[in-house]
Amino acid sequence: MTLKFEEVCFSYGAEPILKNVTFEIEKGEFLGIIGPNGGGKTTLLKLIMGFLKPTSGKISVFGESPQKAFSQIGWVPQGFDFDRQFPITVLEVVLGGRLSKAPWFGGFGAADKRAAGAALEKVGLSSFSRAAFADLSGGQAQRVLIARALAGSPSLLLLDEPTANVDGAAEKEILKCLDSLKGEVTILMVTHNMHAVENRVKRILSVQTRAIILPAGKVCEHFALGLYHDFLPEEEKR
Amino acid sequence: MNFLDALMHSPILQMALLAGIGASITSGVIGSYVIVKRIVSISGSISHSVLSGMGIAAYLKYVHGVAWLSPLIGALIASIISALAIGWVHLRFKEREDAIISMIWSLGMAIGVISISLIPGFNVELTHFLLGNILWVSPSDLILLYILDAVILIATFLFHKRFLAICFDEKQARLQGLPVDFLYLLLLVLVGISVVVLIYIVGVILVLSMLALPASIASAFTRKLSMMMIIAVVLNILFSIGGLALSYRLDWPTGATIALFAGVIYLLSLRFKRPSMVR
Repeated sequence: MTLKFEEVCFSYGAEPILKNVTFEIEKGEFLGIIGPNGGGKTTLLKLIMGFLKPTSGKISVFGESPQKAFSQIGWVPQGFDFDRQFPITVLEVVLGGRLSKAPWFGGFGAADKRAAGAALEKVGLSSFSRAAFADLSGGQAQRVLIARALAGSPSLLLLDEPTANVDGAAEKEILKCLDSLKGEVTILMVTHNMHAVENRVKRILSVQTRAIILPAGKVCEHFALGLYHDFLPEEEKR
Repeated sequence: MNFLDALMHSPILQMALLAGIGASITSGVIGSYVIVKRIVSISGSISHSVLSGMGIAAYLKYVHGVAWLSPLIGALIASIISALAIGWVHLRFKEREDAIISMIWSLGMAIGVISISLIPGFNVELTHFLLGNILWVSPSDLILLYILDAVILIATFLFHKRFLAICFDEKQARLQGLPVDFLYLLLLVLVGISVVVLIYIVGVILVLSMLALPASIASAFTRKLSMMMIIAVVLNILFSIGGLALSYRLDWPTGATIALFAGVIYLLSLRFKRPSMVR
């Protein structure tokens, strides 16, 4: 079992963000996560990464608490949450995914550089390793962030709207890159883009305070907007 | 006598030059972190609150005869305390940090000015502390400055990849299991130590000119933090030597001349700033 949520609740103050969320993810699965803005999708990812602790309930990642499993998790944030003027090269960004494995003091070792190079190759950007991160297009920058997540050889890959704010061609490249990872790592992808997930995943987690896992075929864009959630019977909201 | 002749013959100018070069190294390196981490105002607060340590040390030394306690040691202690205090405020009270950091800034200045005012003949001391006097540097000061330089360079060498990680993407650094808060506080302590080094050159009020301006200029010409540091160090050395020469020629205060020189070059460099790369 890669990931298990058991009756997980989370709230900021009195306002519940997630309520009694229970689901399990098998090793190697590609799961889409949809839901309206403010529905708790990003909170769910933060709980998995151990940035937040549940108010009640239990989360286990590879049988351990999220705080202990961090070295097995790769994270791809929303593309432009960064200072685009930051003076950093593509290779330096990707090496950031090796920090938990690199020696504490001094520079990165040969193994770290090899892993970063291999990750860049996987996303098709080997020739950009010396380029400035700030000079990349939106789609390329997003693929570099995927490479950073892969550089740490994670068993679980979390993506927060990786195709948001990129054009159609870039979206295609990013999804192609994710397709090549199917089966190798367990993937959880938050998205508003239904067609990005409908043919790629078998199951979709719809999150709007509560969470429902449904077969991909049963989900349409109305779930992403949270329109059907309130009408579902209680037992289906699990 | 022109500046070069004077430099060849005056031990005071030679000491000043060495102090300027030493301060340039540390401020170019740490200033680059200050710019990319966007902690210029936090650094300003640390630099101004350092006056409290200098004032108290000077008061104890000159009024109560505590001979070993130099203003530089007082500044060092105050810089570390204020860096940790400001860092803690930043981590604990993010929403209200502006007000609290401004309070620490003012409080530090107030304690410093009052302590110095209690020293007989305080006007000269206060002016030196506020505006710096590179010609005031003694051989023992110079040794301490270069020891502090070494501390900063060793810490940077050891921790650079981790500082880069917390400056670029704190969340990713946390996910990688890095002690982000500890590294942030360590970075602020290094900023504090740099401030102490710079106070002798340009004084409390003008510290930011050497810490932030050269690194800001450098950021326009490179997309790599390590290269930005090298350019900033070179610029700082140029500003120090150029400012020293100009102040000698024009008989202006050295610290203010260095700061003015750096400021003018910064304004000129804005022409070369790259446009925003946001797509």
